[in-house]
Amino acid sequence: MTVTGVIQHKGFGTGTWALDAEDGKSYELHKPPSELQKKGLKVEIDGEIRDDVMTIAMIGPVLEVKTFKVL
Amino acid sequence: MRKFLIIGLFLLGLGWAVSNFSGLAAKGTYDSIVLDFREDRGTAEIENQVNAIAAQFNVRPQLNSRFSEADHLYVVKGDRQLLNALKRSNISKYTEYIEPDYIYSIPEASLSGVVDASSAQPSGGQAPNDPLYSKQWNLHNISIESGWAETKGSGVTVAVIDTGISQVPDLKETKFVAGYDFVGEQEDAKDDNGHGTHVAGTIAQSTNNGIGVAGIAYEASLMPLKVLSASGGGTVADIAEAIRFAADHNATVINMSLGGGGESSAMQEAIAYAHKKGVVVIAAAGNSGQNAANYPARYPHVIGVAALGASGEKTPYSNFGAGVDISAPGGDTSNGEAGGILQNTLNPQTGESIFAAFQGTSMAAPHVAGVAALVQSAGVKDPDEVETVLTESARKVQDDTLNQFGSGKLDAAAAVNLALRGKITFNDFFRWLRDNGYLNPRFWIDGGAVALLPKLAMVLGSYLLAWFLRSYFPFTWSWSLATGLISGSSGFFFLKGLYLFDVPQYPFRLLGSSLPELGSAVQGSSALNPISASVLIPGLLLALLLGHQQWKWFAIGSSIGVSVCLATSAAIDPTLMWIGGGAIARIYLIVNALLCFGLARLAMKPEDKIV
Repeated sequence: MTVTGVIQHKGFGTGTWALDAEDGKSYELHKPPSELQKKGLKVEIDGEIRDDVMTIAMIGPVLEVKTFKVL
Repeated sequence: MRKFLIIGLFLLGLGWAVSNFSGLAAKGTYDSIVLDFREDRGTAEIENQVNAIAAQFNVRPQLNSRFSEADHLYVVKGDRQLLNALKRSNISKYTEYIEPDYIYSIPEASLSGVVDASSAQPSGGQAPNDPLYSKQWNLHNISIESGWAETKGSGVTVAVIDTGISQVPDLKETKFVAGYDFVGEQEDAKDDNGHGTHVAGTIAQSTNNGIGVAGIAYEASLMPLKVLSASGGGTVADIAEAIRFAADHNATVINMSLGGGGESSAMQEAIAYAHKKGVVVIAAAGNSGQNAANYPARYPHVIGVAALGASGEKTPYSNFGAGVDISAPGGDTSNGEAGGILQNTLNPQTGESIFAAFQGTSMAAPHVAGVAALVQSAGVKDPDEVETVLTESARKVQDDTLNQFGSGKLDAAAAVNLALRGKITFNDFFRWLRDNGYLNPRFWIDGGAVALLPKLAMVLGSYLLAWFLRSYFPFTWSWSLATGLISGSSGFFFLKGLYLFDVPQYPFRLLGSSLPELGSAVQGSSALNPISASVLIPGLLLALLLGHQQWKWFAIGSSIGVSVCLATSAAIDPTLMWIGGGAIARIYLIVNALLCFGLARLAMKPEDKIV
């Protein structure tokens, strides 16, 4: 799936990287590449929802990044 | 004869309305009132209003806590009379809400004469010597010190299924049993993230050791089970294995400060296995601020925990609704670290020991796990009974229509006291209801939304009354009349507590509402909407249906039902949207109740017979 949105850092535990998508949903980025670990970055991410993964952040669906494009 | 019939029906409706009255479902007491001033009013204007209250009502409004300044959250000592006066006064324009403060109630059943009520009150504290203890507002909020007077969790093993646990300095005196690292497949379940160590600290931080902070059940043993990697994620398969490991190695409490993913039968079966072996399973409700807890909190036999801030409010991030069984401090660091939960953990970059304030339902769950360990240590072992103790002793929150708090706010002292009394009667009816609600994890029943048992008794009583009336008066009970009575007075109230996961709950609130409640059911407000709580709907129904021989009785029934509902509201708690409480609301409701009754009487013309 492809999602567009803005990268955010959410303060749960030691902090987690998230994508606040344009549709209003928040996705938790699963092991994001370091280029994506930048607050406020507008990106388009192609990835996969990992239904088999649970996390400490619990802020929304877990999105594993396959490819991404900085907008 | 007709008069008798009308009076009989009136009484019948009254029974329904009284039994459905939410005030009876969670009757609480309070001796102070919360005023939340509107942020857009500016500090100077708010101060003026605070002074005005002080002068006008001869009270001293005070900030609720040192975290309340930004929120402008004040409390004043006072009773219902003052509450109503404040609501009616000019000041209400400057506030977001004025409401009773923390309605606490130990359920009557649990007070059943065994001990006097005063023993349920926190008795004598014993503050530990940990220097940072004063910053742990969360432990103060759950009345931990009175709980410690009885037990500190000795003899209980709590499994922490998380990122592992590192033995930071303030865990040195805490007992550990062997765990496992399911990520690295090794015996040593060290933490490389900092989350698991923090969670473990809330449960059993070394306490009274002169350093750092305190933990809840600090004489309990911890079992570290690492299922989440340094990045804070892990697979359902590893978590399911860890649950079975805990159950097989004598852990009796499991804490899972984790969530997400989809439904998994492997996980559900692992939880059922642990439950069968006597393990209390606790999980965080989730941090996406959505209506419904996430997995695993929503599985059967898991106690789902929502997060509270320092003032006892639901935190903005906490999930709510279906699957939330109880609420506990989770903290809110959006206005600084002081609002978070402080424990000893490690800096994942350097591995150094730090004292860090975290927020999240992750922090709320271990409060419940710690208190569950205290309850087990006090002698109540069975997981269903532990859950009953936790939920019955929780401080009830009135008017929790959206189920933000579950059964209430965690109270360690009340839980330990209830457990020590040793007379836990897990109500068979509720067990049946809950187990049936949990036939699958798609729907969920909030047992606290309505007072079910009195309601069932009232419905049975009403049927007896109907049977009695029928044997005296020559009429056949018609479904249209009965339906009208129910719609008018109570609605299908039991639907109010029904939730389907991931589906908005308001359709059930609408179906579960009586006609007068319809105008405020979507918002989930307990105040009545003056448009629907009036003669308007019965009047329209009668105008539309009077010509129809059978449906006319639906209109008459609903008119009587509405009359009773309004009269009852006027008597017990006259609160209207926009208008507030007090005499105006009461007069409005009484006038409309009389109008409805008059309409019903007019519609029952002498020549009519009920068919």
